[in-house]
Amino acid sequence: MSDAAYVELACASHFSFLHGASNGVDLLGRAFDLGYAGLGIADRNTVAGVVRVWLALKDARNKCHEVLGEPPPDFKLVTGARLVFADGTPDIIAYPETRHGWGRLCRLLSTGNLRADKGDCVLNLENLLAFHEDLLLIVLPTSTRREDEGVERKAEKQTILPPDEKGVSPLSNVIPAKAGIHREVNAHGSVDSRLRGNDGTEGGNVIPFPQRPTQDTLTRTLATLRAVAPDRVWLGVAMRRSGADQRKLAKLAELASSAQVPLLAINDTLYAAPEDRPLQDVLTAIRLGITVQEGGKRFEANAERHLKAPGEMARLFRDYPEAIEQALALHARICFDLDDLKYEYPHEPVPNGWEPLAWLKHLVAEAAAKKWPDGAPAKLPALLEEEFALIGSRPDLPYYFLTVHDLVSFARSKGILCQGRGSAANSMVCYLLGITSVDPTKYDLLFSRFMSEDRLEPPDIDVDFEHERREEVMQYVYDRYGRHRAGIVATVIHYRSRSAVREVGKALGLTEDVTTRLVSTVWGSYSTHMEEERFKETGFDLDNPEIERLNHFVAKLLEAPFPRHLSQHVGGYVLTEHRLDETVPIHHAAMEKRTFIEWDKDDIDALKLMKVDVLALGMLTCIRKAFDLIRNFEGQGQGQDYTLDNLPKEQDDVYEMLCKGESVGVFQVESRAQMNMLPRLKPRTLYDLVVQVAIVRPGPIQGNMVHPYLRRRQKKEAVVFPSPAPPHNPRELHEILGKTLGVPLFQEQAMKLAITAAEFSPSDANKFRRAMATFRNVGTMPQFEEKMVGGMTRRGYSQEFAQRCFDQIKGFGSYGFPESHALSFAILVYISAFLKKRHPAAFCAALLNSQPMGFYAPAQIVGDARDNQVEVREIDAAHSDWDNKLEPGADAPAVRLGFRQIDGFREEWAEAIMAVRGTISSGDPAQRIEALARAAKLPARALRLLADADAFRAFGYDRRQALWEVRRTPTDALPLFAAADARELGQEEDPQLPAMPLGEQVAADYQTTRLSLKAHPMSFLRDLFAAEGVLSSKQVEDIKDGTRARVAGVVLVRQRPGEGKAIFITLEDETGITNVLLWARDFEKYRRPVMASRLMEVHGILQKSDEGVVHLMGAHVIDRTDLLDRLSEDHETRLQLSRADVFEHPQLSRDNVPRGHHPRNVRILPASRDFH
Amino acid sequence: MLAENIWRLDNKPPPDRGEEPIVFVEKLKNAMRLTALSRGAIALGLTPNLTLADARARVPELIALDRDHEAEARLLAQIVAGCVRYTPMVAAEPPDGAILDISGCAHGFGGETGLRADLVRRLKTSGITAFCALGDTPEQARALARFGHKSRDLLGLPVEALEADAAVTLALRRAGLKTIDDLARRPRKMLAARFGDLAIRLGRLLGEQDRHISPERPRPPIFALRRFAEPIARIEDALACLEDLGCEAAQTLLERHEGGRRFVARFFRSDGAILPLEVATGHPTRDPALLIRLFRERVDVLSDPIDPGFGFDMIRLDIGQCETLVARQDDHLAPSRHEEDLAELIDRLSVRLGARRVHRVRPENTHIPECAATACAPSNAPTWEGAPEGEPPMRPLRLFDPPQPVGAVMSEVPDGPPMRFTWRGKSYAVARWEGPERIAAEWWRRRDRGGKPRDYYRVEDAAGHRFWLFRHGLHETGGAPPGWYLHGLFA
Repeated sequence: MSDAAYVELACASHFSFLHGASNGVDLLGRAFDLGYAGLGIADRNTVAGVVRVWLALKDARNKCHEVLGEPPPDFKLVTGARLVFADGTPDIIAYPETRHGWGRLCRLLSTGNLRADKGDCVLNLENLLAFHEDLLLIVLPTSTRREDEGVERKAEKQTILPPDEKGVSPLSNVIPAKAGIHREVNAHGSVDSRLRGNDGTEGGNVIPFPQRPTQDTLTRTLATLRAVAPDRVWLGVAMRRSGADQRKLAKLAELASSAQVPLLAINDTLYAAPEDRPLQDVLTAIRLGITVQEGGKRFEANAERHLKAPGEMARLFRDYPEAIEQALALHARICFDLDDLKYEYPHEPVPNGWEPLAWLKHLVAEAAAKKWPDGAPAKLPALLEEEFALIGSRPDLPYYFLTVHDLVSFARSKGILCQGRGSAANSMVCYLLGITSVDPTKYDLLFSRFMSEDRLEPPDIDVDFEHERREEVMQYVYDRYGRHRAGIVATVIHYRSRSAVREVGKALGLTEDVTTRLVSTVWGSYSTHMEEERFKETGFDLDNPEIERLNHFVAKLLEAPFPRHLSQHVGGYVLTEHRLDETVPIHHAAMEKRTFIEWDKDDIDALKLMKVDVLALGMLTCIRKAFDLIRNFEGQGQGQDYTLDNLPKEQDDVYEMLCKGESVGVFQVESRAQMNMLPRLKPRTLYDLVVQVAIVRPGPIQGNMVHPYLRRRQKKEAVVFPSPAPPHNPRELHEILGKTLGVPLFQEQAMKLAITAAEFSPSDANKFRRAMATFRNVGTMPQFEEKMVGGMTRRGYSQEFAQRCFDQIKGFGSYGFPESHALSFAILVYISAFLKKRHPAAFCAALLNSQPMGFYAPAQIVGDARDNQVEVREIDAAHSDWDNKLEPGADAPAVRLGFRQIDGFREEWAEAIMAVRGTISSGDPAQRIEALARAAKLPARALRLLADADAFRAFGYDRRQALWEVRRTPTDALPLFAAADARELGQEEDPQLPAMPLGEQVAADYQTTRLSLKAHPMSFLRDLFAAEGVLSSKQVEDIKDGTRARVAGVVLVRQRPGEGKAIFITLEDETGITNVLLWARDFEKYRRPVMASRLMEVHGILQKSDEGVVHLMGAHVIDRTDLLDRLSEDHETRLQLSRADVFEHPQLSRDNVPRGHHPRNVRILPASRDFH
Repeated sequence: MLAENIWRLDNKPPPDRGEEPIVFVEKLKNAMRLTALSRGAIALGLTPNLTLADARARVPELIALDRDHEAEARLLAQIVAGCVRYTPMVAAEPPDGAILDISGCAHGFGGETGLRADLVRRLKTSGITAFCALGDTPEQARALARFGHKSRDLLGLPVEALEADAAVTLALRRAGLKTIDDLARRPRKMLAARFGDLAIRLGRLLGEQDRHISPERPRPPIFALRRFAEPIARIEDALACLEDLGCEAAQTLLERHEGGRRFVARFFRSDGAILPLEVATGHPTRDPALLIRLFRERVDVLSDPIDPGFGFDMIRLDIGQCETLVARQDDHLAPSRHEEDLAELIDRLSVRLGARRVHRVRPENTHIPECAATACAPSNAPTWEGAPEGEPPMRPLRLFDPPQPVGAVMSEVPDGPPMRFTWRGKSYAVARWEGPERIAAEWWRRRDRGGKPRDYYRVEDAAGHRFWLFRHGLHETGGAPPGWYLHGLFA
């Protein structure tokens, strides 16, 4: 038995979504254990999962080699795809024999993908015939196409990639196709069309598909393929213990011999081991939208579709041993490995006649001359030389820099703000090319951190663009390189506990209510598995078989983790010189006009393809809009032409404002935690902001770095640097940690600490960095702990100090910012703070115009601007634009709110109004409204929204009168009357409507625009609260620490940071805000008022810090929302919660968020909820 | 005079969990929202229309049930039917109201107030809280019942009582017109110019227009009867008379586009005895010939033949159950009556043998052989998928229940066929075989997600007998060898 050899070539991993039930790596491991000579992974119309399996094998080989010192085992992984056709052709498993074949396979899949909607693929046999070269084809007896699969999208929405240029396929220049007979056969011309039987493509989107492929289809398919590829077709046959296996095998053998096609043994594997059958059934149930109880015959009858031992396969195929030999023969023939994917950067950015590196040097030299006309800094030549040496060490790299430069130049030419971030800021070249705005010489940043020879992975330049205009840059990329050469990287969306519980629960027949209840306890964080606690919290017991089953399968889905579908990465592009669709298949994204490849970031890294990140940042939009507003508004201290670079640096008044904690709307430091930190940290220079940005993050807070740093900064504690024992440099720590007062804050410092103080090799340090950065490598941290603490004590540091350093580094783990990244952000912090201080009106308008972004709702942004003496004017049909804009004010510009603030108002209505309102002649208010409606062709809804928003005041009507009037204003102009230009409506008697009280006005303001300039809702209730002894937030500031107090206010935000021990609630009243802290145990007690209140009263004890940060430690919470009814019994006052509210907008927590959690990942604001 | 009664579902909880927060939920506007609440839930501050997620965030122990529109409609229909005791003019006001026209009906209950008190009391005893109000028009009563909790004064009702579009109501409120009175005092023309049919609604509410209700009355049952001055004594005559009655009933059925499924004939003997005969059909019919054929079958198989005694003085035919039967034109080119023939055959067999003794077999959605088919009523026509052409039957028609253990099995390990086995004391040598067909247990019915698979073999002995055998479980090292069972015989 042991001498039996076998290779499974029909193996589906879990990237055959909801078909395959095993991780590809598990399959690989199992095949290894069973003594296979190799394995073929072929997922349904995709190669999305192959890279990780390939990488796992590579890692295992290296491990064998390095760790065990053994020669790597003789095991060959082959990668292909199972083609599922839409035209009734039976499934065909295709393996590329050569690199050329891989290109054909990718082209074939791309063709199918781009004819379908996201996630689907429409393939016909013709497509295969067009791209069959160098593919080894295993024809299976039946088709596994599902009813809803292979549906073509509308012809005009399909993407057609350009065909190969005449004569040469670009790739075939590089990798010639394997010469063979097939070429000659193909040269005969196209295939005999009579051979094909079921070509039903005429008309219609859905291709008719016979329910059961008949023997005839199979015969025809075999004959067709055999004609074009005589030595590359097999007939795959599986023995599934279905009762008549031997008879079927004999029949297929007969068929194969008459078709002159060899028989090939497969097991059509869906999972690694027979125990996985239940999971596969659950997946099938999810796929079919049924419960397992309803599954019955739609499930597999038995658990035979696992990887079987070679001996077992030999026994099953004892009558046809040649079928097994054929599998081995096919496997042996394949000489393609994913390593063969040679990659080349696009050459576009280099002008003809230039060498890329020379061109890069030329550009940099030009930029340097421009930047420093009077001579460059002394350090520059050496720095550039070092960088160019590294860049020149790999032929691709100059292209990479030039490509990014090309994008940035495009953005500049269109006036789109952009800024590089992340480690690229360490590079002088990036700085001079205008990719980043941090001068590395000033901050002593190391280029080698950005890219060292040791780091095998390609460098990573992330560039942020304005979020509203990023699409322009993205489309530019497609236009410049073509969709066949540029694609967005995929992101694999995995099952998370929420989705897993929901879908598995449904498949197991649990009601939605039960799963909702289970899911609802997953508070803002997703862990890798549903802990027992969670089940108990919900009142379910694991002893209950149904719940136990749910837990079992959910754990299975989460531990793999199971991919759910592919999605596009936030903005990473892969660009190639040759056809990208010959390297990896391309898909349609769900978003219009986007196409993406089916490999994710890790796959790309593994294959050493480089990616360019085109990211979006809301603050850049805001800054650009503010710059525009300032530039276009002459007088009153405006009119300057700011750019990111020419803004006055290091202005004291700007830092003054930040020190007071006034940072509403300022980039990165507007959160509550940051606001509280500002007065303590008292930033005075840009570098202080760098620290501020980096320190108030979950990592440093949990790593206990904040307090030591603060104490040292406030000079309460001496800054000391322990020294190593001689002969080591006693000041080594001073050099590493000097800038941050001896506290490691940045990733760079952690790495330097490891290299210098613990004598890590650079490559170990890099592994350490990766272990810190990626949560999946958590298991390796103890090794590093030993290495680092051991290394440091060996060199004479105290055990205690070494341990503390390590704990701090471990604490900030994935949340440590690289210094360069923090620097890039700090620049934006400064710029936005500068705008807020010097041009508060423009800043306010720009923030409102860039919504949704940041932490605050418009009401708070406007409130903050008014607190800073900005005059804010009502929306008015006679004055407002769509955007919020500046108007001349008493001494400084005033903000005029725009129509965009009105819920449900449309931009085109606003534009129509702006275009025609100059022509509106005078008359009584009703006539002018009617004239406006006519001229701008406004629909009734637009008029009502305007009246509702109280925007007809300039016409002489208040909200109530206007509403009464527009209700009868005819909107679609009747041509007959319009020609007569006569007023259509007769005079009406006075309706004698009662006047609208102010409270009602405010409530209506909130209802239509979610903010009111007339008054704060709390001001109407002040007398009532004052009588009850409730203090305003202003009063609270003046009372003593430790006093009992009662405050009430509108709930702005509720947060539950870190481990959830406390809930932070921010209340707002007409005098300011109050911060409330509620311990978790009290929260459980006051859960209902906390969750339901929009107007909350809190009793508690006041706590004041030295810096004047005030907290109310809540002891009692009362829901006073019903008081809002006093404003108006008719209009609910729609108060908008901040976007940072965890309950309203649950955020992904640490376990799940990729490194560098960033505002761009925050969801777009969902329609706010009304309260009832 | 009219009365309206609105009941709410909010007191549906079973008596023993009266104060628990129970809500009914339904998917509305892309979210699960509360549609009805128990008192317990209301007391916790929950309100209808809140999303379930929000409600749960506030009250984690909330019990949420799916809203069942059909059950609500059934309950409402029951209440409407019960109200017939007060007046024949009762109509349902879905989803949660009933409206009664009590003009001239109140005196039996001690006037309007008495009637109302009686109605509320009766509903209360069946656990239903009702809000009742009297009005001059249905709209008035409805508005008062739904919005008149604070004031009984029609003019004092809020504008919501007009039950106009939400946007219209909001517009009225924005205009400062908050009560019916505010509207009633302004010119109708003004309202009509802005709010369309609001003026009409107002008119109806104020009793200026009366739109009478259309009560729901059950359709009378269909029957036909014949009395005889002189009792008839011959069965044959009685059946002939029954056929006439059948024709008569068929006429009524035809007018209603219905057909009967259950027919009861009653023979009233002159001595007072009543002899009932009942037949049922699988499909609705109104064909008197068919009917009489079935009755004759019925009479033929009576264990105790009909004894006319001194004769029958009345015969009555009742149609016990009716279903819609639309007149259909026969396909003149292909008069396929196969289905109907089969249906008639089934009816006749049912009448002759008893309805419970005629079955058809329906395929079930499972791989497990003994569960793969179940008996069902003959009128359901199951669809069977035929075996592929040229394939032998894989399973016998009838199975042993339970499977019969067989002994002395010789088979090849691990999954070879039985070569020899003993059944009922007789030994069989297997000459030909095919298999195995491996059928795994249904893991979802088992706690351990496991269960032994079965390997089925079709085998034939030297004499040509064919058996369907299975091995229960797989050969495992160390374990006892799996047992063998005979599950069926091929014909």
